[in-house]
Amino acid sequence: MIDRIKAMGILQAVLKDSKGDMAEAVLENNRLSLTRFAESKIHQNIDTEETTLYIRTIKNKKISVLATGDISEEGLKKAVADSAAMLVHAQTDDKFVSLPQPSATKLNENSISEGTSKYTPELRAEAVERIAAIGRKGNLEASGAFRIETKSLTVANSLGVERYFTGNNAQLSMTLSGIENNSGWSSAFNPDASKIDVDGLAKTAAQKAMLSRNPIAMPDGQYTVILEPAAVGQLLLMLAFMGFGCKTLYEHRSFMTDKIGQKIAGDNFSVAEDPFDKSFNNQPFDYEGTPKVRVPLIENGIAKGVVYNSYYADLMGEKSTGNALPPNNSFGPYPKNMVVASGNSSIEDMIKSTEKGILITHFWYINYLNPMKTMVTGTTRDGTFLIEGGKLGSAIKTMRTNQSILEAFSGIAEISKDEIVYPQYSVLMKVPAMKINNFNLAAEEEETNKC
Amino acid sequence: MKDKLNNALVWLKGKGVDYADARMVRIETESIKVTDDTVDTFSRNVNVGVGVRVICNGAWGFAGVSSLTEADIKKAANKALQTAKASATTVKEKVKLAPTEIYKDIYKSPCEKDPFDVPVHEKIGLLMEISDRLRTDSRIKTAESSADFYKTKKIFCSTEGAEIEQDIIESGAGYTAIAYDGKEVQKRSYPNSHRGDFATRGYEYVEGLKLLENVDRTREEAVQLLTADPCPNTVTDIIICGSQLALQVHESCGHPTELDRVLGTEISLAGGSFMQIDGLDKLKYGSDIVNINADATIPGGLGSFGYDDEGVKAQRAPIIRNGVHVGYLTSRETAPVIGKTSNGTMRADGWNRLPIIRMTNINLEPGEWELEDLIADTKNGIFFDMNKSWSIDDKRLNFQFGVECAWEIKDGKLGRMLKNPLYTGMTPKFWNSCDAICSKKYWHVWGVPNCGKGEPMQTARVAHGTAPARFRQVNVGVSK
Repeated sequence: MIDRIKAMGILQAVLKDSKGDMAEAVLENNRLSLTRFAESKIHQNIDTEETTLYIRTIKNKKISVLATGDISEEGLKKAVADSAAMLVHAQTDDKFVSLPQPSATKLNENSISEGTSKYTPELRAEAVERIAAIGRKGNLEASGAFRIETKSLTVANSLGVERYFTGNNAQLSMTLSGIENNSGWSSAFNPDASKIDVDGLAKTAAQKAMLSRNPIAMPDGQYTVILEPAAVGQLLLMLAFMGFGCKTLYEHRSFMTDKIGQKIAGDNFSVAEDPFDKSFNNQPFDYEGTPKVRVPLIENGIAKGVVYNSYYADLMGEKSTGNALPPNNSFGPYPKNMVVASGNSSIEDMIKSTEKGILITHFWYINYLNPMKTMVTGTTRDGTFLIEGGKLGSAIKTMRTNQSILEAFSGIAEISKDEIVYPQYSVLMKVPAMKINNFNLAAEEEETNKC
Repeated sequence: MKDKLNNALVWLKGKGVDYADARMVRIETESIKVTDDTVDTFSRNVNVGVGVRVICNGAWGFAGVSSLTEADIKKAANKALQTAKASATTVKEKVKLAPTEIYKDIYKSPCEKDPFDVPVHEKIGLLMEISDRLRTDSRIKTAESSADFYKTKKIFCSTEGAEIEQDIIESGAGYTAIAYDGKEVQKRSYPNSHRGDFATRGYEYVEGLKLLENVDRTREEAVQLLTADPCPNTVTDIIICGSQLALQVHESCGHPTELDRVLGTEISLAGGSFMQIDGLDKLKYGSDIVNINADATIPGGLGSFGYDDEGVKAQRAPIIRNGVHVGYLTSRETAPVIGKTSNGTMRADGWNRLPIIRMTNINLEPGEWELEDLIADTKNGIFFDMNKSWSIDDKRLNFQFGVECAWEIKDGKLGRMLKNPLYTGMTPKFWNSCDAICSKKYWHVWGVPNCGKGEPMQTARVAHGTAPARFRQVNVGVSK
């Protein structure tokens, strides 16, 4: 990995040579060590390291963004020259005010976990073997991925911002599946790979797979569902993409448009962008070097706010919340560290208190239908079970949901005390399980025309 | 460069590997996006490095490095070797690669006008003009126009002696008008949603897209959608436009025929496939008029290339013939499972990613219908135009697609516009209900620049040749 001194040296050299009124340089270094397994054996085992330098140059309110992987002396000179040349063609952006000013806030620069950095390919292979062994006991094949990410991010700008962070984390996800089309899934995220309970996860996935045999079809309807934390996380992420960012709000494409201060979910639903939650151990600043802050998004069902980068904060009269993405993105900011307020229940209690309902492990292929109404669609996957008389019953065939997420979060009957960190698309979410009433589920058609 | 790659391979051979290949990849991208009156994104990216793939003791290892020095390439080779040795501890059966012809060759994609040589102000000017014209109605709250260009250089060498150099240029552009009336948000795009239409062509492809000619219609339709009637929940005959059908082919035929997926290597993430090997040459996937080929040789197709990232020459391979499932997308490792050699579909999203089976140009072959005749032949139905939303289950059976806009068909004529249209179905039942496909005149190879697969997620640029087609008695609207 690139250390602070080297990284800052590169960025300062870039800024010194920049011809802009203002300039920003960002150096991102990512190492990915990934072991993928399927059919109980490793089929991909990779170790790659990638460095990207972003240069954002501003002159007379014209902005150019350049990214390069070439950080040799010659490469840097060329990148600076190209960045300046791009300005000739850029258009004036009158909405641009300024790059962020430096802040005196002291931030953590190092959250490297020894337990993660010492998790070698051999240890990952050993973990795969243990998972496969647990699968074999139930005639199940194991597939999944053990992922170690190590990252450094360095940001500097011509106004004096200088930030550096390095950290690592681990994720293990697995599916155990049998020949009867039965499968179970589990996953874990931890900044410290050595704290991931490999055997525990494998047993959970195996148990779900064993229970998933002989699934029954359920009719279309509105059901009481118990969403395990991953399923809650998947819905939350879609909600974030659809409306927790300032750009969608500015462009009137967010469900939060004209709703700040109004009730949009149930009293018992609160979610905040909380980058300082210890379970994330994430970088404390964004791609502009702005310190992250806690941002209530929905509090007791009331829309509270969205996250900002400096561009939209200036434009909308707000302060940046430290949510800028890499300079070359066009999506706009979104929360990267969300925490949902936990409750007092547990999945076991939820099952006991449910006369008739459906437990959903996680969803698959959730996609937008109507962002303003937070409508999404997706299917259930890898462990969906009927609950009858307070007990877990038969497995259920795949069902599709077409559901408004905010309507779902308006009908939460119970929330678990325990939460997990669920990672998806580089967003970390600390999420509980939820029991939700009146959740739309539809049966798949029976396939009768296969051969 | 070839020498550096080959030196690393010679070193690996000396360490006793079964097989190794090394790929140098340099990808230059330019992305321009205009939102309203602002250049939202104007970025250039150069990404260069080397990926080394090794089979040792019957298991795979891979490492990549963003450097072209001989020392760093050798370090990557060593890392790949070490990871292969770690993988070998879980191996049940040793990896065996299907034989392939060994090439020493150079391939260049067709390009008349290098997009990186076109003055940036010309490209921005075009996008600005589009955005300005889209916003001439106050109900258009956001106008987005974008253009993306890719210039890729690859050098592939293997311990088997392959030495292949490829230069591929890809270009595309598109735009979207987003209308909002205080309650409803609707959008229309051209020439396709999700950043437009793309090809392995130069800037001449963008010039030929008729972008300006379609601005007024796109704006007007976005506004009309605000007050359009909602699509009814019903079962009816539907005609699907070419661009939406491209995504239908992509999700319900392209992905389920990726043989790595069929064999289970994507089960934990992207899922499996209902198109299992025991159904090969038996599964009646679609009606007799449904013929689908994987064809990486079409000049200009976004999924076209000279050689895949295992050095296998680009091919045309049948997937569905007269409605019957007859083929898969394969690699050198997977093809022997069905007794074949690779049909050349292994591609990686850059030097730092392992090649996996990817779609090429997966094409629904054209029929003989004139679109006008097809509409006239449909007593009652709905015409679906341009993708807005998609979702399909992990076996690729149950799907639901939303499109930007639809029109009612009544007594063989297009009628009122319908908003928020959806259709759902089960893959074989749906394709077996296909009873008419429009002719070559309407057939177009739609570039899809954002196909995601694998872990870490890899984005591939693929394409689908399609013409509008009719499907009988399909569930429409949010029917359940």
